[in-house]
Amino acid sequence: MLRPRTRQALLLWCFLAPSLAIFLLYRVIPVIWNLVLSFQYWSPLKAAEFAGWDHYEDLWFDDVFWQALWNTLIVIASAPIGIALALGLALLVNADIRGRNVYRTIIFLSYPLMTVAVAIIWRWMFDERVGLINYAARTFDLVDKPIPFLNSFTWALPSVIVANIWQMLGFYMIILLAGLQNVPRELHEAAAIDGAGAWHRFTRITLPLIRPSLFLAFVVGMLNSITSFDLVYVMTGGGPGRATEILVTYIYKLGFVQTKFDDAAAVTIVFFVLLISIAWAANRFTGGNAGAVETE
Amino acid sequence: MRRRSVVKAALAGATVLAAPAYLRAQSSKKLSILTWNIADQQELFKQEFADFKAANPGVEIEWLDKKGPDLPAFYQTQIVAGTPPDIVDLQGAIWVDYAANGGLVDLTPYLQKEPDVAKRFNADYLKGWVYQGKTYLLPFYVAKTLLYYNKTMFQEAGLAGPPQSFDELLGFSEKMAKAEKTGFLTLNFDWLYWPLFKMNGIELLSPDGKKAAFNTPQTADVLAKLAKATASGGVNKISWTGRWVEPNGAFAAGTVGMLHAHSSSYFFVKGQGPWINGQTLGAAQLPGYWSTPTNHGFAISKGSKNPDLAWKFITHVTSDKWASAFFKNRSVLTANLAADNAGLAEMEKTDPLAAAVLRTQIEHTDKLTGNWPLPYDAELKDAFWPEIQNAALGRKEPQKALADAERTVNRLLARKA
Repeated sequence: MLRPRTRQALLLWCFLAPSLAIFLLYRVIPVIWNLVLSFQYWSPLKAAEFAGWDHYEDLWFDDVFWQALWNTLIVIASAPIGIALALGLALLVNADIRGRNVYRTIIFLSYPLMTVAVAIIWRWMFDERVGLINYAARTFDLVDKPIPFLNSFTWALPSVIVANIWQMLGFYMIILLAGLQNVPRELHEAAAIDGAGAWHRFTRITLPLIRPSLFLAFVVGMLNSITSFDLVYVMTGGGPGRATEILVTYIYKLGFVQTKFDDAAAVTIVFFVLLISIAWAANRFTGGNAGAVETE
Repeated sequence: MRRRSVVKAALAGATVLAAPAYLRAQSSKKLSILTWNIADQQELFKQEFADFKAANPGVEIEWLDKKGPDLPAFYQTQIVAGTPPDIVDLQGAIWVDYAANGGLVDLTPYLQKEPDVAKRFNADYLKGWVYQGKTYLLPFYVAKTLLYYNKTMFQEAGLAGPPQSFDELLGFSEKMAKAEKTGFLTLNFDWLYWPLFKMNGIELLSPDGKKAAFNTPQTADVLAKLAKATASGGVNKISWTGRWVEPNGAFAAGTVGMLHAHSSSYFFVKGQGPWINGQTLGAAQLPGYWSTPTNHGFAISKGSKNPDLAWKFITHVTSDKWASAFFKNRSVLTANLAADNAGLAEMEKTDPLAAAVLRTQIEHTDKLTGNWPLPYDAELKDAFWPEIQNAALGRKEPQKALADAERTVNRLLARKA
């Protein structure tokens, strides 16, 4: 006869086991395999051979890798822009305005769309000949010639970022709205009685209290941004040149276009380390206990 | 009694389990075929398969088609899993990597044994599938670049016919460039732009393939001319940035004088450009008659359990009968001489413009370029192209771009040596 505490623990592990098995099979083992592969010479038709640090050394001299890393960092840096916009929208739809549920729904609508669909929509929007943006810009005499957004070294990456922010805006807004609705109204009322203005109430009460929501939005947004392979691949394919190449598209090209799975594995490991570092930094920034469960 | 029932049940179970194995053994002559972005030919393939099965009783055929970028990834995973399809349709230079690493069956002994098979094909197209003296594929369908020109824009600019030299090509382009109109556009993927360099006598690599050979004053001069023409609008910028839809779409819009693209572009452009007819569109060779092919061929995977049967199958689908049917169905050349000649003769009557376009594909096939059999072709493209792009778009001085490209290419070649 098991003790109640042991029985409870056993039950917990039973419930956890399927998820843990999936996590192990599809997350942990591939990462370990990637790590091993990054130290091997390997292709589908060749037997593996120890390569030492060769692939990492190659990366050091690989201009494309540095360009892709730089672009990835720019895309990560764009996540706060989307969050700031979403915070503004969340504050608006959190106010007592008519039809706010309709606005919430409309703003959220872009998020459940398939990324490939989003990419195709924006590819047409940015099109040089028939795109809505160029049409509007020329109608209002903002430009003389249509701008080749997705074929321009200057505009391609910002265009992809705009599409990405548009898709994620609804998600950020819902997360932040949930955070805003958890801010006790009494705190605002007490601060107002004490003479605090709207800006002070926002910076001293609202922002600190929605910090966990901001953290969640940032981490999810960041992960979504830099893993948005489908968005980049459909909109620009990483081009023109390497203007929109991000690490995840470069990994795909190394593996499946150039058949260099070993090099792709090395980039994947660097990418993994980058993700872990950013998630850790974001956690530290928000107090170091994001995601912790309160037990009392 | 109970024990007997158990034994009976066990025997019955074993029979049920063993039956499929027995049947599998009977139908071990199974062929799997992987094709590339040609699912629309299902009806024709069904007929071809039925014909093959009638001549080879007991053979099962499993056909799978994958879209453009999906095929290489899928094929690689199948190789890793140890279950590659018996026959695979490969395009461009991707096959060389597989051939060089022992992933494809050498077809040379089969071709020697059945010399009539080789005689079916245009020798230049067949030669395109040779790596280190061995043939690895048979042509399925073929295309190479040509020069499309907008006759209306030519007339407006006072030009009588297509250009005969590189300088004339750029000169004509400048003449046609006005406001939103540009003179020339080229597709740029898969070395399709290379004829522009080749017609100027530029080589990519040294004859032994061990060093870059392109960093010469001549190349710098060509790049400088292209950059100047691009800056002035003579050459459309999409030449250096677009992929497929953008350049073809731009030409179809009727605002570009010349398009350097392969014959497959014709049907896309015609579908989008209502202005296109025999009076307004011309098809010609580039100056110097150089062109870059983008061919599809059938290869047999090394992992095939039935390579002889697979060979029989690919000779079946590339036979005069089925190549002709494919030409008729898809309006595409097959490199099968009899099928292409018959198809073109028929097409002259029904669609003379399409026939004129396709006719260019069987002319000057001795001047194919950009189709080097290099196992690291994709890496080489990646090392070379960005610098050409930089120079043509005026982002780098031609000399600097060429020096940077040379350094990257030589580093790659040294690593591969």
